Amino acid sequence: MKETYILGIETSCDETAAAIVKNGREILSNVVQSQISLHQKFGGVVPEVASRKHIETIAAVVEEAFAKAGLAYRSIDAVAVTNRPGLIGALLVGLSFAKALAYALNKPIIAINHLHGHIYANFLENPEIEFPCVCLVVSGGHTSLVYMPSHQDYQLIGETRDDAAGEAFDKVARFLGLSYPGGPAVEKAAREGTPGVNKLPRIYLDREDFEFSFSGLKTAVMNQWRKLEKLGLADVNDMAAEFQQALVEVLAEKTIRAAQKYQVKTVLMAGGVAANSLLRSTLKEKAAEKQLKVVYPPLSLCTDNAAMIAGRAYIQYMNQDFASLELNAYPGLLSL
Amino acid sequence: MLILAVDSATQVAGVALVARDRVIREEFINFRRNHSEILMPQIDRVMKESQCDWAQITALAVTAGPGSFTGLRIGMATVKGLSLATGLPIAAIPTLDVLAHNLAGSHALVAALLDARRQEVYFSCYDVQERYPLGLLPMMACSPQKAALEIDALLEITGRGKVILVGDGVPPYQDYFVDFFAERLLPVSPHLMLSRAAALGSLAWRAADAQKLEDGLNVKPLYIRLSEAEYRLEKGVRAQ
Ligand SMILES: [Zn+2]
Repeated sequence: MKETYILGIETSCDETAAAIVKNGREILSNVVQSQISLHQKFGGVVPEVASRKHIETIAAVVEEAFAKAGLAYRSIDAVAVTNRPGLIGALLVGLSFAKALAYALNKPIIAINHLHGHIYANFLENPEIEFPCVCLVVSGGHTSLVYMPSHQDYQLIGETRDDAAGEAFDKVARFLGLSYPGGPAVEKAAREGTPGVNKLPRIYLDREDFEFSFSGLKTAVMNQWRKLEKLGLADVNDMAAEFQQALVEVLAEKTIRAAQKYQVKTVLMAGGVAANSLLRSTLKEKAAEKQLKVVYPPLSLCTDNAAMIAGRAYIQYMNQDFASLELNAYPGLLSL
Repeated sequence: MLILAVDSATQVAGVALVARDRVIREEFINFRRNHSEILMPQIDRVMKESQCDWAQITALAVTAGPGSFTGLRIGMATVKGLSLATGLPIAAIPTLDVLAHNLAGSHALVAALLDARRQEVYFSCYDVQERYPLGLLPMMACSPQKAALEIDALLEITGRGKVILVGDGVPPYQDYFVDFFAERLLPVSPHLMLSRAAALGSLAWRAADAQKLEDGLNVKPLYIRLSEAEYRLEKGVRAQ
């Protein structure tokens, strides 16, 4: 059988990324140029600043992906690019570059939904995952539960009504004077603290559905923190520990409930927040009680990268699901 | 040999194939704003309908800015993608130079103005008597009033009696400029008012001859302005 080499390009947020994946499995190169340090002084990702950085680095990142893979430009079979959802100005840099590159190389273009990419990250290292699955997608931009009867069929069964989990980490970290990005900063502080010293609500845990809400949790942190400060009892580490605990408990519990309702055997995780070690261990524990298998990508494939885009593209490549030169980018999800 | 010129810096989407002394083909669209949807099909049409292949092309050209931030990046990402695949160098030409080049040969002073929103224009002023425009001012973002005063001073210094204003920064302030310059203002025909990929290609040939072509890895947009967030951060830092 002929080997298939796909170049993936990803610029939906603050990472400029390119990767080459062979046959949807083997990562030949995975270049990620992070902009975190650039956005740190703003306390979060600034869309225009991100777009400006993408256009400066995109060509070098793609060139490096080819160099590391040891492939000539012409030897790839398709160019895959994230075209939704994300920051529109940022997406347009990757999309315009990818279309032009594919056109000049006379190769097909494959449009990838960023969330499909995140979910596919699980399959890069675990090809034997059995369908149906439920996947918890948690990142700075998304908190969704997805039911997957097969690779062709992703059904959204619940999502956040307000802030994404990663966004809640960022906002609470900022409020508590911790660094950006908030996820790793809160996790680090929480390791020094004790959950339960302060009591925060488990929002929506009492509801039957698979919806989430984190903006109320953030407000609860702020209100309690102000009171504790007045009393001279404010401890950043304890607050971080309880906040992380409250958020993780809801995510893990609802994911397990979804797995049971949809009678799946495997639970997947995707997105930057899937790198959180408390979330990983809690989900594993709860899953073990119900004889469910939990799969998650390695840390490097949880955060935004292009290997997941090139990997996911293989499925679309096999189905000849190609885009035209008119392909556009969209900030929203439209449909899963 | 040909230059493939790509312009999406403003509301115009333009693509042209330009030989050293001859425009082969030009496509100019000024009625749809979705550059990300129309620009690549335009390039495809211009290439295919001219039966042109990459071996005939010697360089790529792009309007570097100023202009719409997103529009600039669509054009530049496109030529960077083409450049990586083909190895072709890029001529990145300021949008204001391209506009001024429309009036090549005129004895009047030419001011190029692009709408920069927030009651400002991107602006520069040119002597266009020779084949190629000669910039008389650094490019800037300023109020139309400040642009008018700069032009007024240059009319004085150069002794030119007349000025021609081009670019999409003119119509929003048309009445003001007519009042300000009165009989010193020359009218301009609509086909010369907006940037033309053919003019971009022509200036790209000058850059090629002067060996001022750039590598696709290094070329950057010319924004003139900081991003809003950087601007506020800088102002905040200064205020402290
Ligand atoms: Zn992501």
